[in-house]
Amino acid sequence: MSANDLLTGKVVFYSPGGWSFRSNDALKINIKDIEKFQRIIEEDEKRCIIVSPEFVELDESGHIKTLRDKIRNSGVTIEI
Amino acid sequence: MYKYSEKDKKIIAGRVKQFRNQVQRRLNGKISEEEFKPLRLMNGLYLQLHAYMLRVAIPYGELSSRQLRKLAEIADKYDRGYGHFTTRQNIQFNWPKLPDVPDILEELSKVEMHAIQTSGNCIRNISADHLAGLTNDEVEDPRPWCEIIRKWSTFHPEFSFLPRKFKIAITGCENDRAAILVHDIGLKLIKKGSRIGFQVFVGGGQGRTPYIAKKINDFLLKKDLLNYLEAILTTYNQLGRRDNIYKARIKILVNQLGVEKFKELVDESFKKLSDKKLELNETTIQKIFKFFELPNIKHCNEKISISSNQKFNNWIKQNTIPHKILGNSIVLISLKSENRPPGDANSMQMYKLANIADKFSFGEIRVTHEQNLVLPHVKNSEIYEVWNELDKLELATPNIDLITDTICCPGMDYCALATARSIPISQQISNFFKDYGDQKKMGNIKIKISGCINACGHHHVGNIGILGLDRNGKEFYQITLGGSSKQDASIGQIVGPSFSSENLIIAIKKILQTYQKNKSSDKDDFMTVFRRIGIEEFKKNLYDNTGKTN
Repeated sequence: MSANDLLTGKVVFYSPGGWSFRSNDALKINIKDIEKFQRIIEEDEKRCIIVSPEFVELDESGHIKTLRDKIRNSGVTIEI
Repeated sequence: MYKYSEKDKKIIAGRVKQFRNQVQRRLNGKISEEEFKPLRLMNGLYLQLHAYMLRVAIPYGELSSRQLRKLAEIADKYDRGYGHFTTRQNIQFNWPKLPDVPDILEELSKVEMHAIQTSGNCIRNISADHLAGLTNDEVEDPRPWCEIIRKWSTFHPEFSFLPRKFKIAITGCENDRAAILVHDIGLKLIKKGSRIGFQVFVGGGQGRTPYIAKKINDFLLKKDLLNYLEAILTTYNQLGRRDNIYKARIKILVNQLGVEKFKELVDESFKKLSDKKLELNETTIQKIFKFFELPNIKHCNEKISISSNQKFNNWIKQNTIPHKILGNSIVLISLKSENRPPGDANSMQMYKLANIADKFSFGEIRVTHEQNLVLPHVKNSEIYEVWNELDKLELATPNIDLITDTICCPGMDYCALATARSIPISQQISNFFKDYGDQKKMGNIKIKISGCINACGHHHVGNIGILGLDRNGKEFYQITLGGSSKQDASIGQIVGPSFSSENLIIAIKKILQTYQKNKSSDKDDFMTVFRRIGIEEFKKNLYDNTGKTN
């Protein structure tokens, strides 16, 4: 489960301790539990912690599946 | 340059105050993201893939050294030390924090800048030929007209919630450097006998349904400009679709109604408006023109001396144009150096460039829609010194209009809408074709790269257009050929199946081989050859025996 931090716009991941900037801390959730986590998202949006939430799809080995999400996680792929 | 009136200052200050309050209410939870989004967009603030992005307006691409210094300062103080110049002559900061944005806007207001009309469904920042007022082939300077339209359009109550965004560009030359035919409205200043007026083109655009604009008025009198624009916008506002974001631009309306019917409706509306309060009188026009008078540039016979330094000589050939005042040159600064994202400039480059502009170019800088910069008035006698300074800043790449002078959107590295990356593709091209001699042999050629179908990288009008696609989770690139955004504008044709990023350079090489093979003289540029031989010849050479290419 991921989103952008409301203040900085940085990518955050939902972890057992709340929203974290580190994807390593992220809680991996099963598709059947999505509804429960959607409620957390709605609540944290209302509490002005996060914005633009989305679920990050993982492959069978638990790695981030899409390039878009990989870039969201690791940052721009070019030298700036 | 235009200077803010007291009224302008008051408007901007009021807007900053208003936005500060809106941000505070958002942070306090008094307004939701859904309510806040249209408000932040009205102030140029987007939420991108992994940060906020603030787009700051540079009206018609004109900057003072003072403004450039402020942009550098903002880049250092609130962002990551750089800015990105865009295809509509604006600048984007990619990493601002939400609570800082009102402070950034307040700092910008101190140098007569803002982020209004850089986003949302309104009339956007008006763009113009970056050489406006500088060349002899111009009928009239388009910048005062941009400013007249800017004054009319900013916060226009009727046009603040249009069906979609609305872009206007103006050129004063036959040689179109402002891409007017791919804008919602394109205006071209022309001379008819002793009178100057406008040709009006409507319904151009790129995105998922590209169109070349169609002429709806062959000679519009200057005095009628605002009434006529009001008639076009009213027609669009009333009839443009609001049910489907992809069909809401004026180009769709013009093409659904047919240009004759659209023109008829505009003329009808114009008749009701003409001779009303928007008619421009000569005093008003002249008052605005005063702001755009040339600085005190000395006329002289000094020519640029050929140096023993080949790098300098290449740069002179490629990056300078004679100024209309003899003895002076226009310097084009490429923001396409090897390994740098196209259009990016770091704060140190911006600070030092502001100093160079003060010393050598009357403190003026321009931004081009091709994501480069311009020093508009440089004495020929000082040009070596300017080159030397720019070279130290890695701003003297001699590649204007050559193959490595790509246009490129931010792509998936930044953009939440992108389906593929575009900056790494531009960098591959820059690396592969870096040799100046080789580039020169290929002549003028425009490669334009977009990371998705929204076409922010103008791929539809690239001589070679590259569109990034997601194919089963992998980045693939579709090539179009034969696009142009000049006066002979055309939409590129898809050459065939797309290519992986690894094979893209091989494909471009093959396209260039076909071009080279079919040149009938050294003067034939890519577009001349393409228009003569057609796409089939390129296809044949690209895909024959290249089953493995894609």
